[in-house]
Amino acid sequence: MLMSIDSISKSYNAFPNPPAKVLHDVTLNVDTGEAIGLVGESGSGKSTIAKCMLALIKPEEGAITYDGIDVIHARGEDLRRFRREVQMVFQDPYGSLNPRMTVEELIGEGLLIHKLEPTAAARRARVAEMMEMVGLNPNDMDRYTRSFSGGQRQRIAIARALVIRPRILVCDEPVAALDVSVQAQVINLLQDMQKKLNLAIVFVAHDLAVVRHLCEKIVVLHKGKVVEQGTREQIFDNPQMPYTQSLLAAVPVPDPVVGRARRAARRLETAN
Amino acid sequence: MTAPAIAQPAARRKEGFSAFEIFVFSLVVALLAIAIFGPLLAPDSIYSSDIANSLMPPSAANWFGTDDQGRDVFWRLIVGAQTTLLSAFLVVTLYSLIGVTLATVAAAGPRWLDEALMRVTDIGLALPGMIVALGFAAAMGASLRSAVIAMAITGWPITARMLRGIMRQTMEQPFVAGAQVLGVSKWRLMTKHVLPNSLDVLIVKWAGDIGTTVLVLASLSFIGVGAQPPSAEWGATIASARGYVSTAWWTVVAPGAAVAITSIAFGLLGDIIQVRRDPSLRGN
Ligand SMILES: Nc1ncnc2c1ncn2[C@@H]1O[C@H](COP(=O)(O)OP(=O)(O)OP(=O)(O)O)[C@@H](O)[C@H]1O
Ligand SMILES: [Mg+2]
Repeated sequence: MLMSIDSISKSYNAFPNPPAKVLHDVTLNVDTGEAIGLVGESGSGKSTIAKCMLALIKPEEGAITYDGIDVIHARGEDLRRFRREVQMVFQDPYGSLNPRMTVEELIGEGLLIHKLEPTAAARRARVAEMMEMVGLNPNDMDRYTRSFSGGQRQRIAIARALVIRPRILVCDEPVAALDVSVQAQVINLLQDMQKKLNLAIVFVAHDLAVVRHLCEKIVVLHKGKVVEQGTREQIFDNPQMPYTQSLLAAVPVPDPVVGRARRAARRLETAN
Repeated sequence: MTAPAIAQPAARRKEGFSAFEIFVFSLVVALLAIAIFGPLLAPDSIYSSDIANSLMPPSAANWFGTDDQGRDVFWRLIVGAQTTLLSAFLVVTLYSLIGVTLATVAAAGPRWLDEALMRVTDIGLALPGMIVALGFAAAMGASLRSAVIAMAITGWPITARMLRGIMRQTMEQPFVAGAQVLGVSKWRLMTKHVLPNSLDVLIVKWAGDIGTTVLVLASLSFIGVGAQPPSAEWGATIASARGYVSTAWWTVVAPGAAVAITSIAFGLLGDIIQVRRDPSLRGN
């Protein structure tokens, strides 16, 4: 097991109201090379879990362990290794790239600060290689990201995260802000990278169709609790909890006959 | 058939500069050019007195007349422009550096340090800056250097307070969390990610600050704690000429107008830059 999250709870201060508990006893594991989907409605605590996994915030209770490192209390060399091996891609492709840095600086920053390449020239070569790998033109290396499209920016974000060869990539709704046509490209790229680099991916989404394509394991979250988790087949073909069933019912179904039947069923339900 | 009217003119007006803006820009450029190159052109005679020619009214030979020492008022203003503007630049640069440093430490540091620095800043904001600068300058011994140092060490609170607020906002941006996840040091986080995305406001503030500083610096010199005669600094020039207001008005009016025009020109430049960055302020 690469990372284990063991019954963590997290509250946010909501002064003057009492602190609001948004995660209750959440437990989940990430294995090497696997893609996990974290699904749930808006406000169910998906991003909060992602931030805990990235050590951006600390849960008050429970433990997070990454490859022998106690993530919540990690310091020094442990923390450095954790920072090198667990990376992320955010939802907002505009706010997540520093506008004052060129593509080369953005992608090369991890190499620089973790001293993974001896010289600037070697870094530049690695950046170029990485850009090709994610489908960007290395000639754009010296440009700022202002004029790039959302899809290109997400590719830059992915290259920036993956150039230092992390073992876990946490993606918080990485395609939610993209055009539908671009979403599939980015998803395919992530899947590609997962296979090529033996990368574990934690994929946060409220779109089950995306998760179905990418993730072999799925965790369903509701009001800060894990209500169901299992393999893709278990969740999609035989959901146990009513909440999961209602989530699945909201997924657009490509087959018009099934879709029509489902809409009819829902009309009946509301009529009664 | 007529083509549909497109609202081009409005868009174009936003790009171009108004006559007033061009006027202000030219004025500032002219002042800077005078401050940089003027002294190279000045005749040596302005440094020596020629009592026989003292207090002559403006003429073709002495455009703004002569002062009590018989020196040409116009050329002394030109030389004084360099002293005045250079000092103002120095003051603003120094206190901006202090402000940026304190804001960065406050924004990056632990809560208690932030609180402590902001309380000190509040005190700094509450004290009348010019009076404190006057005290400092007097304590260090009246000289232009004392005035510059005094203004530099009293001028930073507004910059520090403003910038610290903006840096806190910048730190909420996702790319800052991204840099943390990547594992950048606190120093790199602040200098490479937070500061460069927070400094815009200083660039806007800068021109207006020069305008204010020119005025305060001239005032300190006029009161006697800044530049001392025979310096050509404008405040000192007004001070040494004030006995002749009734008999030779040009000796006072010329440097007075120079101070007014310069501080207003830079103040207007500051306003123009600010409105251009945030058009919603237009009309205020
Ligand atoms: N910084 C914060 N301070 C206070 N409350 C917060 C904060 N961040 C999130 N919350 C609250 O915590 C709960 C969970 O939020 P979270 O962002 O984890 O949900 P999510 O599942 O990611 O939702 P979404 O799909 O909308 O992104 C929500 O009720 C939210 O309002
Ligand atoms: Mg979220």
